[in-house]
Amino acid sequence: MTFAASNIKNRRVAVVAAGVVSPLGFGLSQTADSLRRARDCVTPVTRFSVARCRCKTAGQVPDERLVENQPKMKHSHRLHRASHMVIRALQEALDQDRRFKPDFAVIGTTSGGMSFGEDYYRAVYRHATVRNVPAWIANYPPQKPIVDALKLFGIRSGCQVIANACASGTNAIGHAFECVQSGRYDRVLTGGYDALSELVFVGFDSLQASTPEKCRPFDRQRTGMVLGEGAGILALEELNSALARGARILAEIRGYGISTDNHHLTQPNPSGVGARAAMEQALQSARLEPLAVDYINAHGTATPFNDAAEAKAISDLFGSRVPVSSTKSMMGHSLGAAGAIEAIFCILALQKQFLPPNINFGMCDQDVDLNIVANQSYSAPVRTIVSNSFGFGGTNASIVIQQMPG
Amino acid sequence: MSLEIVGLGWVTPLGSGICEVWQRLLAGEEATAEPISDTTGQKPYPVFRIPHMALQDLPGHARLRRASAISRFAAAAGVSALHDAGLTNEEQLAKQIALVFAIANGGVIYTKRFYHDIVASGADAASPLLFPETVFNAAASHLAAILGITGVSYTLVGDGAVGLSAIRMAEDLLSKDELDYCLVVGAEEADWLLCDAYRKWRLLRSAPPIEPFHKPAKGTILSEGAGAVLLGRKGFVKIGTIHPGTYYSTRRELTEVLKGVLEELGPGGDPSAVISSANGTFIDSAEVSSISKVLPGATIYTPKPAFGEGVGAGGVWQVIVGAQALRSNKLPPLLHAPASLPFRIPTSSAIFSDVVILSCGLNQQVAALRMSALPAQTN
Repeated sequence: MTFAASNIKNRRVAVVAAGVVSPLGFGLSQTADSLRRARDCVTPVTRFSVARCRCKTAGQVPDERLVENQPKMKHSHRLHRASHMVIRALQEALDQDRRFKPDFAVIGTTSGGMSFGEDYYRAVYRHATVRNVPAWIANYPPQKPIVDALKLFGIRSGCQVIANACASGTNAIGHAFECVQSGRYDRVLTGGYDALSELVFVGFDSLQASTPEKCRPFDRQRTGMVLGEGAGILALEELNSALARGARILAEIRGYGISTDNHHLTQPNPSGVGARAAMEQALQSARLEPLAVDYINAHGTATPFNDAAEAKAISDLFGSRVPVSSTKSMMGHSLGAAGAIEAIFCILALQKQFLPPNINFGMCDQDVDLNIVANQSYSAPVRTIVSNSFGFGGTNASIVIQQMPG
Repeated sequence: MSLEIVGLGWVTPLGSGICEVWQRLLAGEEATAEPISDTTGQKPYPVFRIPHMALQDLPGHARLRRASAISRFAAAAGVSALHDAGLTNEEQLAKQIALVFAIANGGVIYTKRFYHDIVASGADAASPLLFPETVFNAAASHLAAILGITGVSYTLVGDGAVGLSAIRMAEDLLSKDELDYCLVVGAEEADWLLCDAYRKWRLLRSAPPIEPFHKPAKGTILSEGAGAVLLGRKGFVKIGTIHPGTYYSTRRELTEVLKGVLEELGPGGDPSAVISSANGTFIDSAEVSSISKVLPGATIYTPKPAFGEGVGAGGVWQVIVGAQALRSNKLPPLLHAPASLPFRIPTSSAIFSDVVILSCGLNQQVAALRMSALPAQTN
């Protein structure tokens, strides 16, 4: 455990294990297959009534598979779905590298076990006495799922839970990266999680940010986002330490950028200044030029405002050369989990040398020239990737992920 | 790297203004609880609320027009901490300062209103004006906009220990040379729904006062407000070791977990004081047992009988109390404690060179830090 700040700077940071649960599948292998096949995993919402919403669809993780092969845990039936998602993702990561013992954890979320809060409020509204109320209250807080997961695997490290809206997952990875890079810690667990909840679903619907149609990021006919859910966990370790113990290196995190765009609580600055600042900082931190980037996994929510601002920022900084896709087109926007899940997509792209697709795409906005990975994945040499996440509150985060040579 | 407190600000149920509230604490005052009701017509609960006068210096800003109470509390405390440090140049600040926001329940008033509309009238009745304010980082976003911060801004969520976790994050951030300051703000707003939840969780008392360290524990009273600590490299109180935090799985193991946390903080000055998070619940006895074993000579004080349980704000309030104790060599009297206690209680003659802040949340998280007076402040 590292307590005091260290003078060691700019250490290299490896990803030594990863685990993922999303509508695209359970685990890295299924997920890679879904990305390759450009599977559309957005389906009609089944968790709550959407009869009075404009949007009727979301990317959903099937409940019946969530608790398969899970380690035994007392009172596990009381845990929220979000806890089960994190447990499943963490289990996959720890199975890959059983010697990884984290000093610390930095995780992102936006609403954690919100649906338990909803159940509780409905009981209050009905003046009902419900036996489950204390369990709902104890398991509703957003930090609870990661505490549950750490507890289950006997990890006693401290944990910071970042709730920077939709940028949370990338913020968590970025902060974890900086903690290892600066020598504060040697090994950090990071990632993000979020489970679909009625309150959040209706919230985006009320803003007319979500769409009754297909999710079409960067398409001229785009009409909005669809929500998703899931969890992604990455194990970060100082590179030399990982190499010394013979750990398998999945990728290297090279850079991180964060910016705050004070334009509006829910809308990005149309000039793309916040997004651009985050990407520029990430490249600066990685000591790389824009030309070094082979693929951008965009935030790409498919809302008119986000995609216009992000497209402008990307084309201003990178021109129209770099392939870009938003994988949210396939599984929806998993909010606090998105940055973590998409970072894992990037790692899979680096490992298997392909570009994940942006499905439901026709043509870009009139004045925008982006090189979209349209509708199908394809094989390509990929060494360096930028992954973006932007959120309410004007929070913007970008990370640079690179393939390890050899 | 030296991490020091540069400025302080708070909005508490006893008022705002560091010196004003500190004097009231030293005089043994406590906030007055008022009943909080709900539109569903169910039973009222007592809460320590923020007096209107406490927000009179809040700067006008377009972002605060529709913002929830939590954003107003945070803005008032944050701006006050910057003023305390003599920082006013917004443009310069934007590049030098990071914001770390600590929150537990967040914008619960608007969240409840938003969800109530869904339950009572259907999804198509939900207000698009309310939803953005329900997001956990809304209050941080408003404060960043008010202060012109365009760089690093993080909102951390957790239980009552989240305030210290935010200080730890500030230390992470200030280990980078690019930043000069980190403003840590902890905030909370009270609502009937929270009180009802805490009651059903068997942690709430039906009427004040909060009686810390009683056996059996009688329960706590919720409160609201914000605390802000501006951290930099040259200030008036030094933050020493900050424990990275941990959790307890069961209440039974809490004493051992706290003991481990205090031991890992390492040896400090003698005699030392502990600003405890005792709030009238099960955590009180665990805190006393662990402190008695690890820091047997320590004086223990908890501000919660005076302020109430401020959850997200509570840890930052504790840090401010600790800093004030080091600045003034005084601790306020311990309110409503039993006559006989197995530890030292604050007296007028004590001298503190070293203070430990111990935050034990009600939902399994634990954190602690040690701070000390800088030579200029030591008598």
